Amino acid sequence: MRYYKEGKPKGRFIGSTERYDIYPGIYRKKEERQEPEPHRKTEQEFVFSYGPASGMLESSEIDFYTPGEIINHVDVDYDVRMRKIGITGLTPADALLRIERINGFHAASHAICFLSAVEDAMGVSPPDNVLKNRILQIESERIRSNLLVVERMAQAAGFGVPVNQLSLLREKVSRIIGKHSGHRYFYGSNSLGGTVFEISSLAEEIGEVSDEFRDIFRSLLVSKLFINRLQNNGINMESDSIGPAARASGIMHDARMDSPDLPYGELDFKPVIKEESDAFGRFMVRSMEIGQSSDLIKKVKISNDELSENQVGSVNGKGMARIESPAGDIFYGIELKDGIISAIDHIFPSVKNLENFRKSMRGNIFTDFHFNWESYGIWISELGVVLE
Amino acid sequence: MNINFWFLKGIFKGIKTEKFPKKAPLDIAPWSTALVGKGNVDCPVEAIKDGKWNFEKCIFCRRCLPEYAPNGDTAIYKVSGNDRTFKKSFHLFPLDSGACGACNVELHNIAAPQYDMTRLGIFFTNTPRHADAIVIMGVWTEGMGKVLERALEAMPGPKLVIAMGACAISGGIIGTGVTDKFNADVVIGGCPPNPYTILSALMKARGE
Ligand code: SF4
Ligand code: SF4
Repeated sequence: MRYYKEGKPKGRFIGSTERYDIYPGIYRKKEERQEPEPHRKTEQEFVFSYGPASGMLESSEIDFYTPGEIINHVDVDYDVRMRKIGITGLTPADALLRIERINGFHAASHAICFLSAVEDAMGVSPPDNVLKNRILQIESERIRSNLLVVERMAQAAGFGVPVNQLSLLREKVSRIIGKHSGHRYFYGSNSLGGTVFEISSLAEEIGEVSDEFRDIFRSLLVSKLFINRLQNNGINMESDSIGPAARASGIMHDARMDSPDLPYGELDFKPVIKEESDAFGRFMVRSMEIGQSSDLIKKVKISNDELSENQVGSVNGKGMARIESPAGDIFYGIELKDGIISAIDHIFPSVKNLENFRKSMRGNIFTDFHFNWESYGIWISELGVVLE
Repeated sequence: MNINFWFLKGIFKGIKTEKFPKKAPLDIAPWSTALVGKGNVDCPVEAIKDGKWNFEKCIFCRRCLPEYAPNGDTAIYKVSGNDRTFKKSFHLFPLDSGACGACNVELHNIAAPQYDMTRLGIFFTNTPRHADAIVIMGVWTEGMGKVLERALEAMPGPKLVIAMGACAISGGIIGTGVTDKFNADVVIGGCPPNPYTILSALMKARGE
């Protein structure tokens, strides 16, 4: 393994897989932690259930424990739509088809992280052009993901015009991705040591979307009705937060800074940090990262040549990788035996984001729920899944 | 900031809705359209058998290149039951049985200004009691199978069952298809299906 060593914890805690605790560049055997006591319904509380079939984008059953108005506790049940996906026993190429479909909206992030772990296990390194092309994919994906988060927050406020303008932009990004990669969700766009993401005019096309978004963002910022629903809603004080939720709470957590799998270091990258800690802070970070990702795409200077290289490496080995998906750290650990995956470890950002969302709902009221939920950008598809 | 402000911003933006279906679709990502080619290939989901491509199974993974390639045709759906009752107003109840999120977003996208489903009399509802059709996405999962049964019971007749995406139709590469357990009147191919494909299939489902 190139970057990861077994050892004593150092730096921020990224999360736990089934077997390991992960820190930047370090893994160790998972420490047993006491699960928090399940919430017991008090006599004053009743349970208000929402879903699993509801107006939300994905299915999950959400139970609110409340004495009337204030929410004391929230449970989110995604077992109802649990998918079991077999990965071990497959070649990396066959596994990749399934990995892309864990969270289709963040398929590039999942695929690239998984491939980086496999390449680490094989002891191979793709050409610099491929690594930088991967950055272009992830940043394009981030822009679309952040547009959806802002759109869903505006939808919660019933703001028809910005919702339509944001979905117009999001569809434009899907078409840009479709045109440059052949598939609107990057399926089939990545392989070991290779990529299919043609980049001529990408920076200009994404730049136009970013400019149009800036205008909508400014208008939302002066909309008191909207801002009032976000401020002090879902305050997140958890020091182990990840992704935009961490950065909205003044915490400098970003795998683009402390994971060497992709060459962000060459792009003079500095994370967007806000101090608000609430849904408003998360709205700010997601919005400002749209412009930032567009600037990163402009900074990447590569050609369309050498976008694949046959990767011949070891068929036995262990590899780990971590990248910053639009919602925070994704981690994959892979073990290869005779070219076949014999074990897989993973950390998906929706797990930590859900935990912190639930904590941040305490003391809120039901009408705050949609704004707060959307501000975390949680994907049930990443939660209701077991990799076998 | 008042409502008039947003109203004016909307007006200044102009009309963004395309002329589809009167005019041909614009900007189609190739790997969401029909595949044509010759011969047998090593397809991970057996979508190519005896030289024939089956849209109900294809996950658009590109493994069959160069023998097979997309031809830009978005009409990859099959309608075995339609109902003209829904010609003026067609209310859809989306149900995620075990999807990856991409089908969910593509269905949501037919409301985007480029497509604007409401001009065609198509709407979403978040209760099966108001639904004319249920749109099922994702593989069959036990828990959602029960939810699906209850939703179908709650829907008033006439009603249509629509299976959207390779997972719901055949299980794709992830699991078991929902159509193994429930009969679908309409199947919409893709992984995920293109919004143009979804709109065309919905219009066909109401007898257009
Ligand atoms: S694109 Fe993939 S799933 Fe579809 S026919 Fe070709 S090989 Fe099979
Ligand atoms: S058909 Fe494809 S896009 Fe749709 S849920 Fe299944 S894997 Fe996702």
